[in-house]
Amino acid sequence: MSSGVTGAVALRWVWSNVWRLWFSAAVLVLWWVLSADSTSTFFPPLQRILERLHALWIVGDARSELWSSLGHFAVGYTVAGVVGVGVGALLWKFRRIGDAVSPVLYFVYVIPTAALLPAIVAIMGIGSAMKITIIVLAAVWPTMLNTLDGMRGVDPLKLDTAKVLHMSALRTVRTVVVPAAMPQVMAGLRHSLQVAVIMMVVSELIASQSGIGFFILEAQQRFAITEMWTGIIVLALVGSVLTVVFIAVERVVLAWYIGARAVERKG
Amino acid sequence: MSADSGRVGARWSSIAARTAVVVAVLAGWEYLSASGSLDASSFPSMTDTMAELARQLVSADLWTALWHTVRGWATGLAIGASLAVLVGTLLGLNRFAYLSVIPVVEFLKTVPVIAILPLAIVVWGATLQMKVFLVAFGVFWPLTIQVIYGVRAVDPVVRDTAVVLRLRGVRRFVGVTLPSAAPFIATGLRVAAAVGLILTIIAELIGGAKGLGLSILTTVNAGPQRLPATYALILVTGVAGVVVTSAFARLERRVLHWHESQRNLAPTGV
Repeated sequence: MSSGVTGAVALRWVWSNVWRLWFSAAVLVLWWVLSADSTSTFFPPLQRILERLHALWIVGDARSELWSSLGHFAVGYTVAGVVGVGVGALLWKFRRIGDAVSPVLYFVYVIPTAALLPAIVAIMGIGSAMKITIIVLAAVWPTMLNTLDGMRGVDPLKLDTAKVLHMSALRTVRTVVVPAAMPQVMAGLRHSLQVAVIMMVVSELIASQSGIGFFILEAQQRFAITEMWTGIIVLALVGSVLTVVFIAVERVVLAWYIGARAVERKG
Repeated sequence: MSADSGRVGARWSSIAARTAVVVAVLAGWEYLSASGSLDASSFPSMTDTMAELARQLVSADLWTALWHTVRGWATGLAIGASLAVLVGTLLGLNRFAYLSVIPVVEFLKTVPVIAILPLAIVVWGATLQMKVFLVAFGVFWPLTIQVIYGVRAVDPVVRDTAVVLRLRGVRRFVGVTLPSAAPFIATGLRVAAAVGLILTIIAELIGGAKGLGLSILTTVNAGPQRLPATYALILVTGVAGVVVTSAFARLERRVLHWHESQRNLAPTGV
């Protein structure tokens, strides 16, 4: 394959994906033009928003709000993921206990976590512990329930085969349970990620002195609408970047899974 | 016969075990507050909470708050879902529109809905519109993507048959597109309904619109002696969550049941 041909292929690939962005670009241009001499308090010109965004978030010190938020998010999401997968696996392994506790778990699961927020603030105060607790309490469920579901989908025949072959528990988990349950575990982790981002912000909207949620709400209360918009845009970008990073990780993890499957088929 | 009675026995022992766990949790809660392990000023006892719940259930305040919450949730969900079905169908039927618009939809889907809440609060204040907007906005993007997938997942054989039969316009939409998209929409709706309830509570809690969220906040601000009311209201939101989730899960099961029967028929037809 000559480099010229590869170049042409790459160019066609780029083009076939890039032309689709015309609509996104059109939306932005439309926003820019329509808001250019907007006198509405709520919808300031996009140009001014971007200028403030540059001044505050890129050269300014508003970034520290973001780091504080992301710190809580990282801890909360990690704990939620580990606990979710762990408890989900235990509930699958010990079926009868899982069945017995299911009504209680289900009830805690359906309580909108936001409703617990004032109570948790009353118990834990307004520090980092409260924020992380809120994130964990809300984000643990999608991972836990999807892990449980994914493991329930493991082919019983394969488990029996593993038993007949006297495979060790660890090996059974690695070769039978994980490959079968992984796609759904990842789906759960992805949903948990979105929940965790939302709860990260919500935890900062009540009785908080830091974080991007606090920044947005505080700007709104000062009626500094342009600054509020910069916070909204930064938060939107953070949400999408986290999702994109997750999708990239998911591709790597599931590529391993797909690769393992291909090897299995060949071998 | 014996296998049957065995299954019934297993069913009863499952129900007994579940009941035992519920009772144990409630008793454990009561024991912990009675023994002083749970600080009475931040966590009320189970019996106090239940007594308060019973009192609340006959008071008009609780039902008014519940009504405000349900109204905001249902209106927002209805608006968001109708728009999603409309927009999703249009985008799903046209490849060019789909490819152009999907990056914007995918981006907005990843935006944490909560980012828009302060904007809604400055524009509408602590009102029903603010709640409805937040719920409609929150459920619109994920549901639109579900509808697009559903519309695009029409079985090629069914689609070709519709072309041969010259089905067009409304008849094609109702007879071909909608049935194929229905399972996707049902799943999307179940998730949207739960998310919508959470957003309603958040909007009330932070935006100050009337409803269960605001009632919870009011009881917390009223001091420790109102704590049983806080937890009673949390239990009520939990029950609301159970009702919403199980209602939509039941709806989905009905739709999916039909869908699976369709899918099982397809291979024999080919």
